[in-house]
Amino acid sequence: MQPNPIQASTHRTTHKTLKFSNMTQSFTSLPQELQLATSAHVKYIQSLDSRKDEYDYWLTEHLRLNGLYWGLTALHLLGHPEALPRAETIDFVLSCQHENGGFGAAPGHDAHMLSTVSAVQILAMVDAFDDLETRGRGKAQVGKYIASLQNRQTGTFAGDEWGEEDTRFLYGAFNALSLLGLLHLVDVDKAVDHIAACANFDGGYGVSPGAESHSGQIFTCVAALTIAGRKELIDVDRLGRWLSERQIAGGGLNGRPEKKEDVCYSWWVLSSLEMIGKTHWIDKAKLTSFILSSQDTDKGGISDRPGDMVDVWHTCFGIAGLSLLDYPGLEPVDEVYCMPKSTIKRVLGR
Amino acid sequence: MPPKGKAATKPKATETPATTTSNPTTTNTTSQTASQPSEPTTVLERSQQRYEKTRPFEAARQQKGLSKLPKEDQKGWICDQLLHLTNRLPAASRSSLLGPKASKEIWWTVNGTNSIVRGLKHKPKPHTTWGTDRNGHDVGSYTIERFDERFRKRIALTALQVSSRVFRENVEREKRGFVDARSGREIIVTEREIDEEKVRRSKMAALKKDLYGAITGKLAESVEWEDVVPIPHEEPEGALAAIIYPAEYAEAMSYLRAVMTTKEYSPRCLRLTEHIIAMNPAHYTVWLYRAANIFALGISIPDEIEWLNEVALANLKNYQIWHHRHLLVEHYYPTISSDPDALAQFAKQERGFLIAILSEDTKNYHVWSYRSWLVGKLGMWEDEEELKSIEKMIDEDVRNNSAWSHRFVLVFSNPKYATPGKAATEKDEKVPQELVEREVKYAQNKVYLAPQNQSPWNYMRGVLVKGGQPLASVQEFVEEFVNKLGEGEEEEEVKSTHALDLLAEIYAEKKENEKADLCLRRLAEKWDKIRGGYWEWRRKCLTQSETEKAPGEQVEKAEEGIAAA
Repeated sequence: MQPNPIQASTHRTTHKTLKFSNMTQSFTSLPQELQLATSAHVKYIQSLDSRKDEYDYWLTEHLRLNGLYWGLTALHLLGHPEALPRAETIDFVLSCQHENGGFGAAPGHDAHMLSTVSAVQILAMVDAFDDLETRGRGKAQVGKYIASLQNRQTGTFAGDEWGEEDTRFLYGAFNALSLLGLLHLVDVDKAVDHIAACANFDGGYGVSPGAESHSGQIFTCVAALTIAGRKELIDVDRLGRWLSERQIAGGGLNGRPEKKEDVCYSWWVLSSLEMIGKTHWIDKAKLTSFILSSQDTDKGGISDRPGDMVDVWHTCFGIAGLSLLDYPGLEPVDEVYCMPKSTIKRVLGR
Repeated sequence: MPPKGKAATKPKATETPATTTSNPTTTNTTSQTASQPSEPTTVLERSQQRYEKTRPFEAARQQKGLSKLPKEDQKGWICDQLLHLTNRLPAASRSSLLGPKASKEIWWTVNGTNSIVRGLKHKPKPHTTWGTDRNGHDVGSYTIERFDERFRKRIALTALQVSSRVFRENVEREKRGFVDARSGREIIVTEREIDEEKVRRSKMAALKKDLYGAITGKLAESVEWEDVVPIPHEEPEGALAAIIYPAEYAEAMSYLRAVMTTKEYSPRCLRLTEHIIAMNPAHYTVWLYRAANIFALGISIPDEIEWLNEVALANLKNYQIWHHRHLLVEHYYPTISSDPDALAQFAKQERGFLIAILSEDTKNYHVWSYRSWLVGKLGMWEDEEELKSIEKMIDEDVRNNSAWSHRFVLVFSNPKYATPGKAATEKDEKVPQELVEREVKYAQNKVYLAPQNQSPWNYMRGVLVKGGQPLASVQEFVEEFVNKLGEGEEEEEVKSTHALDLLAEIYAEKKENEKADLCLRRLAEKWDKIRGGYWEWRRKCLTQSETEKAPGEQVEKAEEGIAAA
């Protein structure tokens, strides 16, 4: 899962500059009962890879594999895992793999942590780890690539050989390695120490020690600690309080104090609350309503807030959020991995 | 081929381009062909007319049928067919097709009927004969003037291509150290020749575009990139998420791949990265490669930062830019670390830009994370200007949580006051109490400006924890925002839910549980209903014993410890 709202905003902004919203409903004239437009969303996701003639399609090539993960997760949670062809999906993922085991965002792109994690998640969802062994470079090589990105002195993880460090990469590494059963390849304790150093005075976590608390980064830190089995390091009450303060009057959640609500935070804030057992500290009904009113029920897809242009990123996290809120008709989502619980059960046996 | 010695009619030459007369030159005794052809307006018409002229009997045959033609014409037509047929055969086999007697017979007929021996082989057809132009129109439909113009352009293009080839060959010869055969000197390509070639190439590109609609990439056209073989993008067959690139971007990327493979670091590569970044600033690979070029070429880091500033202002949501800046500073720092003036100057420049870009997007997470990192890197804790700058931002928008967060870092990560290894949430004895009081006062003053703004409340709490002060030390202040609690809907006054929340904590700290419960109940019932679940949990905590509290509450334990001391 790639909680990089800022990077995805480029994706979003490009959409906005090239198209205008098709939303026919305005937020003020909402009908009493909002429904989840499942089939519209499925069609929207299926149509994504056929938009090759659109300008912003190539602008976001560096997110291609990540985009596939977001789309596939949404489809699985909507109960339509077959909507993207399995064989082609596997072929595409494997075509992004490099000799060193890592995956790039698209064929020909350099290997990077984020796309490698997406690749592992996709292969897990479509149950293709065998293909990784027989036709790809194998799990061990992938694990080796990820492990090579850890700074053994500080415990942090870089995104690629160039060394940009970010707690997202740490979480990504734990996520992928645990799915591959190779968490032992890295120094978990050192990494955990680093997360602890990112804890802030307000109870939250930032991208690096001293950086402002941010919901996306909080998710990565809390999820990483969960995978490492070190949740006791979290100041649950303080963090829970900070997270519950993310809900604003309209029902949506924001990422930081005094910022706008955004559907993707329905995932990061909510899953963080789930991991520390405090989801009842927000108003679930209001949040559900907010997510549903951010849909495009005509063409499918979900946007960051009602009235804006949709994109696959917000579609994924909106649906994941609804699943966590026990919205009827959705597959249960795993709050740590942002993948179907059934996949996690199959892969990790729990 | 007519046998030698026979008086063969001179083959009628097909009309030259100069003449456009439509009168047939043959005066045949045959029956009149269909109506005299009119003046041809297009090249297709002209060629069709020529074609028909070389087959004088064909028009009549089509009109009337072979059996209806006079005997002479029938013979003429048959001879024509044989002539055209044998003309296609290789010379050697022609004579063996017909015996000498038959050949004589044919040629006697040919002479009598004035057939035209040579003619156009194939019937001119629209689209196929001349092809289509860049707009998809049949070139055959051009007027004769326009066609001639096109023809002239094609000749011009060919001439340029020939000269260009000569140039390229000379470049190759120079590379290999060839020596000119006549002068005995080594071949060198002069500046003048390069300039001429550049002009030639742009002319060629223009002509190609005009004639065929072919767009020559700027890089393929440029002399500078002559020696590089671009590596085009390979998409696997039927890729699930295939990408169609605009031509200019595709070309630039193919050249990037080529130079990255050979690990070339040069000014032209640097320019190439800039070109690609302008088209797609989020492409992480190209930033990596740019940094490698910067370091390999020893480019002045301040110059690169100046360039980067422009890109940053144009791309506010971009990660790569800030990581690139991080790398540049890491690289630059050792060169100025021992010079306090240079350090101060650099810090000032950086701050100047950070202020400028933050004015565009006051809460930009990348910029703020970079700024907090920079404070540590350049040791800016004592820099008054930095503190002033943050205060100014808070003055402009008291709700800017990023600025508050940065202030905390600036003040409390100062090595003068910070015990190494202490977490942000831990009390630190090294922090002087005057500092704690100053910061608490600062936060309180800002609370007055917007009591419901969360940031200064969080800040104040954080400071109290850091300084090991009990929350109760600010009770008087907090109570200013809550009035007549529990005295009825009309009477109750709550200017800040955060105050009410903190008040509950203060009462709990002092073990005044009833008062604490009242605060929490009113929050859940009226003042902050959306967080009802949380307030109810807090109420439950009041009644639970300390040991049942959730783990990890180091802070509250510390406070209790102090309160007890």
